[in-house]
Formats: sequence, structure tokens, C-alpha cells
Amino acid sequence: MMAAGAGVEVRGVSKSFGVDGKRVTVLDDISLTIGMGEFVSVIGPSGSGKSTLLKVVAGLLDADSGSVTIDGEPVREASRKKNIGLVPQSPALLPWKTVLENVRLPVQINRAANGKRQLRDPEELLRTFGLGHAIHKHPGQLSGGMQQRAAIARAFAFDPAIMLMDEPFSALDEMNRDLQRIALLDFWQSNRKAVMFVTHSVPEAIMLSDRVVVMSAHPGRIADVIDIDLPRPRDEDAYATDAFRDIEAIVRRSLRAQMEQVHV
Amino acid sequence: MSDTDTIRTTATGTLLTREARAAGRRGAPAWLRPGAWLSTVITFVIAAILWQIVALANPYVIPALNDIGASLVEDAGMYWANFLTTLLEVVVGAASGILAGFLVAVVMAEFRIIERAVMPLVVIVMVTPIVAIAPALVVAFGFGMVPKFIVTALVVFFPMLVNALAGLRDVDPRALDVFHTLHASRWETFRELRLPGSLPYVFAGLRIALPMAVVGAAVAEFVAAGQQAGLGSLVTTSAAQANLAVTWGAITLLALLGVLLIVLLAVVRKRVLWWSDGDVNAR
Repeated sequence: MMAAGAGVEVRGVSKSFGVDGKRVTVLDDISLTIGMGEFVSVIGPSGSGKSTLLKVVAGLLDADSGSVTIDGEPVREASRKKNIGLVPQSPALLPWKTVLENVRLPVQINRAANGKRQLRDPEELLRTFGLGHAIHKHPGQLSGGMQQRAAIARAFAFDPAIMLMDEPFSALDEMNRDLQRIALLDFWQSNRKAVMFVTHSVPEAIMLSDRVVVMSAHPGRIADVIDIDLPRPRDEDAYATDAFRDIEAIVRRSLRAQMEQVHV
Repeated sequence: MSDTDTIRTTATGTLLTREARAAGRRGAPAWLRPGAWLSTVITFVIAAILWQIVALANPYVIPALNDIGASLVEDAGMYWANFLTTLLEVVVGAASGILAGFLVAVVMAEFRIIERAVMPLVVIVMVTPIVAIAPALVVAFGFGMVPKFIVTALVVFFPMLVNALAGLRDVDPRALDVFHTLHASRWETFRELRLPGSLPYVFAGLRIALPMAVVGAAVAEFVAAGQQAGLGSLVTTSAAQANLAVTWGAITLLALLGVLLIVLLAVVRKRVLWWSDGDVNAR
């Protein structure tokens, strides 16, 4: 049982798009809880509504029915209090600002919500993320991987209660992805926020999370929730262990079952 | 032959490569490399030669280049006074047009209903030839500077409005998402995201609008000729007297004014938009 005020509570959320007669139900009665300090991945075939779900939790879309609370409050309140850290699919850094200025930006916006939070030193944060050399550079001078890391640093910089990440590593090559995953884990270990992480990659979901939520498409529903009881902290060696491989088999089987349904 | 470097053949031939590398070794800036401007200069020289050939054979069609040059030098004072008048019209009109265009764009970007209501009217005025509007303005406002300011402002206003609006709208949607989750106010989103992001479009609009302002000023002066003020009126009065040298002298200065504005714009753009040119490391 999760205590009241748990990180993210999604209750009976439904969302459809389109005009009457041609409505597509993208989310169908989704219920999900992410506890404080819990890392949850959402995985599923295209059209399963993973990104839509993330957008509803982020307050970027309104659900047709159901509710979402963050830290016990409705999403709009959480947003007003700057309790949501969004890492979108592309880094979305402002090219006319330096990396440091970009990371500082969330603190400078909506200052009213800064209140009593523990603000991190942006320079310190960037150094921890291995971007110490890039502090005064501009996003155009960084590689995609570095930009994405800066975007993650930006989301951590104002100490939000929850982190929402929408396939942040999708555009990176495999080796870069591995590095970024470990770097993210490293940082998150000592900054345990509730995280909702949308991904296409099964190994990524397993490596990062405490639980993996498998979604099915048409309509988008939660098909499976798989606990990942691999010990933490995890590193690259974890990929090769039997335990990892076993869980991967389970998740892949579940995912395949969802994808087969699409083609029925 | 150069030193032990292998000479790479390029599409433009080996000569350019050698010179380019030589210039690079001396640390010369790109635009000093002969390859960068040689073809342009050659084109101008050829054009000048062709002009002279036609001019000398047909002195009543176009004047020889030396005649134009002589006129510019002899009557420098007169040309300068008229140049300043046209320049004033362009500067005042452009400044007003830029400001008004940008402000209206901001309002339209923030309030879609204003755009829906006003844009059709804007489009209609924009497609009405300025040549037709100018005389009407002269009737209303007389032969002084006012109709000229209005014409140049109008000519700049429309490209500014259209481009600024496009620029204010074309924000990175993912960045907008981040601002939204931070509960940024309209003003903060405008100041930090929309405004800087619109600048590349604004400069693109100005690149077209400023030379057009020169056209607008000249057209307004054609209509209000007889005032002996401005390069445009100089063109019409000297053409009426079949004074080809002065006519083309004034035309030359009008062209020069346009070029000056474009160069000035490019310099300002390089300083302001260094981040949008693809090669950020060139800063």
C-alpha cells in the first residue's frame, strides 16, 4: 500500500482523440502508482499511449476522465509548485544560452515557487554529469548525448518531486545510451526521486527500474506490471547476469504478446 | 609547384586549392582569398564593359560610365542633399514599420482571435500596389515628408509582421512543454523562448523589407516630384529633361543606399544571431 501523497497516482485515466464516429481511445482506464523514490519504466508498442500517458501526468494534456495526483495534489498545483521535472524526447535546450544558463533557467522561471526548496549549484550539478567542460559552451557545440545529459541536469536542477522522462535516450547510438543510463542511475542513486521513464528498449527499462509497466495498444491499457528485483546499485555487468536475462525474457514475452494483439 | 603537399583536384580546379591553402597558412580571413571574390569582380568588370559598349554606341539610350562618374563628382553637393532626404525617409519609415510590425505580430501571436480578425485586412492592404496608394496619400497629406514616411513604413510593416508572426509561432514544442510544466507565465515564455527564437525570422524579413523601403521612398518621391527632394524625385526631374547622366547618377545612389542597408543588416545580424548560423564555433 502506498502512503497518501505518493509520488504519482494515476486513477482511471482515459483519453481519446478525434471526432465522434472516428474516436481513437489512446488511454483506457489507466491506473498506476509510482511511490516516492521509485523508478518506473513504461514500455509498449507504438500506439499504446505511453507518451500520451506521460503528457497527461505532466499536465500537457487533459484526461477525459480519471485523475492524476502528484505528491497528493492535482497536476496543475504540482506544476505551479514546480514539482514536475520534464525531460522531453529531444533536449530542447535554448541555443542562444550557454549550457549553464540553460540549467539555471527553471530556477529563474516562476520564481514564486522557489520557496524553501534545496536549490542545487548548477555548476556543481553539471560537473557531476560530466559536463564540467561544457559549462560555458552553447548547445550547438555539444553532441546529442551531451545535450540530452544537460537536459536531464536541467530537470534535476530545481529539485522537483517527480521526474518524467519521455524516451530521452532514443536518438542516441547504442554505446552512448549505455553510458547515459549508467550516468543517470549513478546520479539518481543519491537523488531518489519518483521517476516515470518511457522507453522502447527492454534492457533499458529493466536496467533502470524498480518496476516495468507493459502497455498494450488499441486501446492503450496496462497489460502487465513486472517487478524488477535486481539488486542496486546496478552497473554494466548487470546486463550479463542470469537474473537480468531471466527478467528480460519475461518482459519480452509480455511485450510480444501485446504486439501480437495489434496484428490480430 | 607547391611543396610536398599533394595537390587535390577539386571541381573548380587545382589553382583554387593551392591558393586557398596558401591563404590558410598565412592565416588570412576567408573573404580575402581570391577564390571568394574573383568571380564576382570579373562579373562586374564584364558587365561594366558591356555597359560601356552599349552606351558609347547609343548615347541617347544610356550614358557612359565616365559621364555618370563625372556628374556624381561635379554635383556632389546636390546628390548628397538628395541622398540624405531619401535616407531620412527610409530610416524613419523603416523604424516605424519595424516597431509597428513587431508589436502587431506579438499581439497576433498571443491572441489568435486578433489574428483571425485582422489578418485578412492586412493581406488586402499588403497586396494593393504601393504605387497606387502613394498618390492617394499625397492628396491626403500633401507634398511634404509625411506621405513618404507612411509609404516606407507600410512597405516595411508587412514583411515584418508576417515574418515576426511566423518566428514567434515557430517555437520548439518540446521547449514549450518544459516551460509549461514549470508553470511559466505568458510573459516568461515570451521573453525567454518566443522572442529570441523569432529573431532569425525577423532578420530574414528585414533582409527583404529594407531594400523595399528604398523602393517605397523612391516611389513616393516620384509621385510627389517637383519638390526637388530626394533621389527619386531627382530621377523623375532629370529624366523629364533627358539628362541621362544625372538620372543614372541618382539611380546609382539609390542602389548604393540599398546595398548599404543590406551590409549594415548583415553586420548586426552576425552579432545578434551568431547562434543560429549552424557554425556556432565561429563566434
